Amino acid sequence: MDHAQFRLIIPSQTRYLNLVTGLAKRASLVAGLDDATAAKVSIAVDEAVTNVILHAYGGEGEHSVELELRFTEEALEIHILHSGLGIRGDQMVLPDPKEYIKHPRKGGLGLLLMSRFMDEVQFKADEVSGRNECCLIKKIS
Amino acid sequence: MADLSIAVRHVGDVAILLPTGFINAHTVRDFEDTLEKLVQDGRYTILLNCTDLSYISSAGLGAIMGLIETVREHGGDILLSNLQDNVFAIFDTLGFTQLYRVFVDESQALAAVAPERKG
Repeated sequence: MDHAQFRLIIPSQTRYLNLVTGLAKRASLVAGLDDATAAKVSIAVDEAVTNVILHAYGGEGEHSVELELRFTEEALEIHILHSGLGIRGDQMVLPDPKEYIKHPRKGGLGLLLMSRFMDEVQFKADEVSGRNECCLIKKIS
Repeated sequence: MADLSIAVRHVGDVAILLPTGFINAHTVRDFEDTLEKLVQDGRYTILLNCTDLSYISSAGLGAIMGLIETVREHGGDILLSNLQDNVFAIFDTLGFTQLYRVFVDESQALAAVAPERKG
């Protein structure tokens, strides 16, 4: 099967989150994932795009977020690209769920959901273009 | 259809929330406002009936987490019922099913807190 990919660019506004989660869910099903896994992928994408809108762009709505979906025989890859503040992989600190339960508080759960629901979560920076990327990978078993 | 609508009704001193739609960073403000208003009104036992909740992201989980200590300090709790599989997976994956009492349906949840309500 040839690899396929396509792109969607949205404004950096939370009103479009449901659009991208719907797309992620449908793409997962097209890739051959089951309903339950597709729902998890869509949540991970919601979290990743929310992070870009609220944290990378600080809630400013006039920027853009690019989603690139790549279908291969092995996996569905969802690349989320932006020009806001990036984080490196070694800055990704996941909260300990047990500690979280002992000391409930707001925040910190998005990265944990992404890492639990996807097989790989990668953060990259392209120094040439100045863009940052979050790559979510779900393997097709 | 709105992204999120929230119906509220009361059975005894239990406030029952029925969110319809999804709770994420776009809709969480309405969800937070509803929860906070209940707590301000002294409603500390809150049942979240998730029958029509299609998904909840960490933004929604944070709203619940932000109030759990307050309601428990006042002798109340936040209960969950009627979770769709994907919503249950979110709570369970994060280990939150240990933090919240989860019930198959609303009547079981109300029965579970009935002695507390009488007490």
